[in-house]
Order: sequence, then C-alpha cells, then structure tokens
Amino acid sequence: MLGEFEYLLITSAAGLGENAYGAAIREEIEATTGRKCSIGALYTTLDRLETKGLLKTWMGDATPQRGGRAKRMVRVTARGVRAAKEFYDVVTRVSHGASWVTERTRSGT
Amino acid sequence: MTSAGWSLVETAARLLTRNEREAVLGDLVEAHESVWQGLLGVLGLVFRREAALWKSWRPWLAGFGVAMPSSFLLMGASLSVSWSYLTLRCPELLQKSTLTLGSGSLVLLCKALLLIGWSWTGGFVVGSVSRRTLWASAALYFSPCLFCLSRFRVESLSRFCLLLFLLPAIWGVHQGLRLSRLKLSSAIVLALSVTLMMLPAWSSAGQHWWSPPRWTLNWALCWPAWYLVAAAWSGKRHVWLIDRLDSVFQGGRHGE
Repeated sequence: MLGEFEYLLITSAAGLGENAYGAAIREEIEATTGRKCSIGALYTTLDRLETKGLLKTWMGDATPQRGGRAKRMVRVTARGVRAAKEFYDVVTRVSHGASWVTERTRSGT
Repeated sequence: MTSAGWSLVETAARLLTRNEREAVLGDLVEAHESVWQGLLGVLGLVFRREAALWKSWRPWLAGFGVAMPSSFLLMGASLSVSWSYLTLRCPELLQKSTLTLGSGSLVLLCKALLLIGWSWTGGFVVGSVSRRTLWASAALYFSPCLFCLSRFRVESLSRFCLLLFLLPAIWGVHQGLRLSRLKLSSAIVLALSVTLMMLPAWSSAGQHWWSPPRWTLNWALCWPAWYLVAAAWSGKRHVWLIDRLDSVFQGGRHGE
C-alpha cells in the first residue's frame, strides 16, 4: 500500500494533469497540506514511485521563467491510479465511525 | 537570489545527475527560493541520494568486507615482501635465515605475485560491486594506511614499503569499474594461482597462541578471487542473485 506522502504526490500529479511537474506538484502539496515539502523528499519519492511503475517521468521543455531549465514532467500510470484509489478506499473505510467523521456528517446534515 | 549565492547552489547541485540538476535548479528559480532554502534543498536531496545507496548490501561489502580488512592485511603482506627482499640483499641476514639465494628468490617471487594477486582481485571486487560509493571504499582503504604509516618504526625499512599493494589494488579498481566481471577462464586461472601460491602458508601456525594461523588471514584475502569466479560462472544467475538480494534489502521499505 502507498505511504501518506506517496498518496499526496500521486493525487497532486493526477489533479494537475498535463501540467504536473516538480515545482507545480510541490506547490500543490504545500498549498493543500499547509506543510513544507522539501525538494529532497519530492524527488526521491518521484523516483521510488517511478520504480514501482506508479508514475512515469520525462524531461520537458526549458522555459524562460525557470532560467531556461527543463522541467521533470510527471504522469500517473494506470497502476498509480489503482494504488491511489486503494489507499483512498482504505482510509475511507478505516475512518468510518471515527468521532471527527461522524461529527462532520452530523454537522453536514 | 544573488549571483554569488546562486553559484553556490549551482556548485552544490553538481553532485546531482545532469537531468536532476536541471529540474531542481529550474524548480528553485520558479519558486523564488532564497539561497539558504535552495542550498538546503539541494544538499538534502544529495544526502538522501547518498543514503539510498547505503540501503543496499553492496557498499557495505565493498567498504567493510573488502577494502578495510584487506588494507590492514595487505600492509602486512607488503611488509613481508619488503623484508624478504631485504634478506636477499643483505648477506648477513641471508646467512641467519635458513634460505639460500635461489630458494629465497623463489619465496620472494611467490610472495610478490601473491601480493599482486590479492591486491588486484580485492580492488576489482571493490570497483565492480559498488561504483557509486567508491569514494567511501577508497576512504576505508586509505585510512588504515595513514594510521599505520604514522606508527611505522622499522629502521632498516622505509615506511612506504607498507604501500606496495596500492598500485595493483588501484589497477584492480580501475579494471573493476571498466569490466565489472571477468571471463570465467581468466577468473579460474587467477583464483587457482592465488590459492596455490598460498599453500606453503597453510601448515604454519600463528606466531603466538592467541594469534590466528596465517592461512585464515590468507583466506580473508583470497575470497575476492573466488567471488570473481562465482560471479563469472553464474552469469545471469549471478545477476538474478544480486537482484534477489537487492529486493530482500528493499522489500521492507514499501511506503517509506
């Protein structure tokens, strides 16, 4: 099963679609979680997920706003989608009955 | 980022591969990171990359299984070769020993060839097993040398006679980096030659009751030669074995 950070990374990359690359994913994770995401954690996790076949990465084009440096583009594979879905299902199932979930459900109704 | 600060970050990023350097530096520019944050980010990634290499058994084998113990033992072997040479050169010492000039020359030749064989095979294994951590293996090779050089006190011998093994060892590392595996026939000839030359030492006991017999120390230097035979013989099976070992070491790390 995926780890928490792996799930965050796959979900952010899937959400960004065609525009998924290192800096964009990092920004997305930081904005969503409110936590700092280090470059080291990001790139080593990208490598690990690519080795597992959950992501595919390739070097994109260089752009002026990056000082003429190329991006490392990311695409989530079908296996990656399945792994993320499995993680989400497990979290949803395990959270069923937890006080913060039931409170939220009540306040929603 | 100032240009001076940026060049510092770029220098640190040289420790990364070309593509990764390109992507990381671009990300830092795009995110408008400060020099300090950029430097920390790059060094953090470099550290993680290095640490990941040490999750495998290979650098441990190369550094602590071969380089470090071999260094100590090969210094002893180098000293033995130097001492045999000195005995041959000095008639008084030759008279005191039980050897004649002919048998002494043969012993010296055997010891010298054995030293070259041990050093070369050890170096080859270090070079071929873990290329990316060669700097660590080299440090483990040289630190015992520096320690022993600083403490060497024999008047009749230069302290550099301890380092006779270095040249064949460096040659072996170079070949190991280049070839990664020997031909089976070459590996067998090499291992058999080294083992046969060790035979005279098999019967000799340790100098003191607490010291191990010499043949045990010799085997510690000989196993890299037989490792090369096993590696050459197994071929694809060797690759399979290494993959299995790698997967065993990395198996418990899912979800890290």
